[in-house]
Amino acid sequence: MKKKLAVLLAAVMCLSLAACGGSGKAEGNKVYNVGICQLVEHVALDAATKGFEDALKEKLGDNVKFDEQNAQGDSATAATIVNQFVAANTDLILANATAPLQAAAAGTTTIPVLGTSITDYASALDIDNWNGTTGRNISGTSDLAPLKDQAAMLNELFPDSVNVGVLYCSAEANSQYQADVIKAELEALGKTVTFFTFVDTNDVQTVCQNAADNSDVIYVPTDNAVASNTAIIDGVCRPAGVPVIAGEEGICTGCGVATLSISYYDLGYTTGLMAYEVLVNGADVSTMEVKYAPNVTKEYNKEICEALNITVPADYKAIGE
Amino acid sequence: MNVLSLFNAMPGAVAQGLIWGIMAIGVYITYKVLDVADLSVDGTMCTGGAVCIVMLSNGHSMWLSLLVATIAGMIAGLVTGIFHTAMGIPAILSGILTQLGLYSINLKIMGKANIPINNQKYNLMVSLLNVRDVPFYKNTILIVALCMVILIACLYWFFGTELGCSLRATGCNENMSRAQGINTDLNKVLGLMLSNAIVAFSSALLAQYQGFADINMGRGAIVIGLAAVIIGGVVFSKIFHNFALKLLSVGIGAVIYYVVLQIVIWLGFDTDLLKLLSALVVAIFLSLPYLKKRYFTKASNVAAKGGK
Amino acid sequence: MLVIKNIYKTFNVGTINEKTALEDVSLTLEDGDFVTVIGGNGAGKSTLLNAIAGTWLVDSGSIAIDGIDVTKTPEFKRAKYLGRVFQDPMLGTAANMQIDENLALAARRGKFRGLRSGISQAERNFYKEHLKTLDLGLEDRLSSKVGLLSGGQRQALTLLMASLEKPKLLLLDEHTAALDPKTAAKILAKTDEIVEKDHLTTLMITHNMKDAIHHGNRLIMMDGGHIILDIKGEEKKKLTVEDLLAKFAIASGGELDNDRMILSK
Repeated sequence: MKKKLAVLLAAVMCLSLAACGGSGKAEGNKVYNVGICQLVEHVALDAATKGFEDALKEKLGDNVKFDEQNAQGDSATAATIVNQFVAANTDLILANATAPLQAAAAGTTTIPVLGTSITDYASALDIDNWNGTTGRNISGTSDLAPLKDQAAMLNELFPDSVNVGVLYCSAEANSQYQADVIKAELEALGKTVTFFTFVDTNDVQTVCQNAADNSDVIYVPTDNAVASNTAIIDGVCRPAGVPVIAGEEGICTGCGVATLSISYYDLGYTTGLMAYEVLVNGADVSTMEVKYAPNVTKEYNKEICEALNITVPADYKAIGE
Repeated sequence: MNVLSLFNAMPGAVAQGLIWGIMAIGVYITYKVLDVADLSVDGTMCTGGAVCIVMLSNGHSMWLSLLVATIAGMIAGLVTGIFHTAMGIPAILSGILTQLGLYSINLKIMGKANIPINNQKYNLMVSLLNVRDVPFYKNTILIVALCMVILIACLYWFFGTELGCSLRATGCNENMSRAQGINTDLNKVLGLMLSNAIVAFSSALLAQYQGFADINMGRGAIVIGLAAVIIGGVVFSKIFHNFALKLLSVGIGAVIYYVVLQIVIWLGFDTDLLKLLSALVVAIFLSLPYLKKRYFTKASNVAAKGGK
Repeated sequence: MLVIKNIYKTFNVGTINEKTALEDVSLTLEDGDFVTVIGGNGAGKSTLLNAIAGTWLVDSGSIAIDGIDVTKTPEFKRAKYLGRVFQDPMLGTAANMQIDENLALAARRGKFRGLRSGISQAERNFYKEHLKTLDLGLEDRLSSKVGLLSGGQRQALTLLMASLEKPKLLLLDEHTAALDPKTAAKILAKTDEIVEKDHLTTLMITHNMKDAIHHGNRLIMMDGGHIILDIKGEEKKKLTVEDLLAKFAIASGGELDNDRMILSK
């Protein structure tokens, strides 16, 4: 019995080697198969996937089929999922977050890949001389918060502030990049910027306390670890009277006073429209420019602003109203 | 549900399985030969990839990058070994401490949480891209399989030497080993270094294969390694008795693991439950020998106690 | 050959389990002495052997083997002077390794272990010859795992391993206690033969008073961490079990309590 199993296994391995040659091309079917690899379940990523699917369904109706897979935060699983998509010869791959995009880049040079919820394509894909396109089978949308505008917003609300602390998780792929950019922008506005980083969520409270003690204002970028620990940050910063400017709406709801927010649903939707161009109109992915969030809204957190006696200009919209 | 797509996915699953198989062989050395459960591999499984990608990105050669990655793993093993032997910390805790420390070190090596390697720009040894539609000598499956065979040959030779024999004796019976003049502490450190070196090498291959190194890439590695050791053991224990074949069965165990994983994903199983599934599979296989002994053996005699 | 001067050992210092296991023990063994050690449970017999073997370091006093001070030498380094057989047959061999591999490990005791082959064909032939002398049929099972052997076979093998590289001192810790009487007698006879042939200086712990009397040229009895009797020469040759019991009564100032001693006559 065991011997048989061993033989069977050997056969599977041989066959799989043999299968390397074959490439099973799907016939020009009207139904498009789209593989979606999302890194982890998360409000923002889920919204992006939803927006993507909604856009394609509106355009193609029943002529699109989604194979939605979640790597549950495990980067190696992302590679396994991409392998499945490449093997099934899907018509397009949506890579939702950085690790899936990298796995897709490693897995195929022919199947069009669109990314979403990715901050910086150049650093995610190791591309020098970034000119807006990747020059290969990859394009997509960036969730890069309008950092320059956020820096301006911080200065608008707190013109007298000098020391700005930037609080983020150094184990997050995108946060370092945002921190570097916002630092440059804030320094251009005459602020002194200090980074306060933690490597896992157990350290949030301690690091945040340190940040609150040493800053007039705290900025937190779009960061998953921060997003899941807003209650702790609020618990430290509100009593300390230190306002927090957030990189996105979700974080702002939990612990920020204001944000310039982008909508991940819109981002996913934009990506879906790009997918339509590629699938139906035969657009060349390699020359498609990476797109940014279509709408940006100035938002504020009413409760925290009242607690800290902050009045915001009239063009700010209260979150949830 | 297209069976052909599952069939087409097999090369990728096999390649990934082989890479993890090398890692599992490293785990085998600590878990089975040395009789120590070394949890530092969760950290080393990132360190190797991080070092390799950083070096490749800085223009170093493939061989040098792989070598330095392997040495980095060796150092991690040395640290765990020193924690355990010289400082008297229990083995499990030593591994956890190293793993935790490596998290920070890995971040510092990479400079950020995730670094990519562009397979268009660099000539990588293995890549997810090279599992189909490439000349056979460039095929990742072949290259990794070759690495594994060479590794097994080296280990087979090593464990037949005087030093290798004393290492096996250390794992088997520490009292006897010391009575025969074997420095058991030194041997444990050596075994941990060897194991972590192999894991780091595998990590370097994995990072190239998937096109990036990520701070989270080693999370749960020990469970995959143990699963491979156990699956390999259960499937092949009756037919593979030679040490080299046992190592091979561990490698194949990892391939089985990834083939099953691929099938599970192909079936559209809720991937959130994958980790739970892995943990359950390992728990069941780990408990099998015990359950067998407890419920299917009538009387246990004293002499049978020795065989582990 | 062995000089022990005033050694002390206390376990679990500072806890309610504190126990003084050796108290001011001194012992000198001449080259070729075969000393049997008897005493009840907790008398300090095994502790004495472990002190010599270096399982842990003694609290004070000194131990020298053949003029070399080993008081602070770790166990694995001392091993080069010592051959050891334990009470538990599981302890003396590596169960997952082959018979010839176990012998090869013993043959390299005290030598540098490098990347040379762990065992050669010439060695295998040599071991085969040695195993034949045990008369247990092990010479045909060189590549069997030791875990498959019976307790008696394992003790015989351990004895062979202990004497393969002639040790300066052979330490036998009740090495027949876990065996059935017939096997035990066989192993004891084998022990005598090996000690005789290689003229080994030996310390043998036993529970059996007859064995203690009939083997060796010297007998010591321990109680409460002390050596209370030391009988040698002509006196030892003429010794009977009754003598021994009487001597014990005088030395310890009390009747020999057989329950406590768990000695067999």
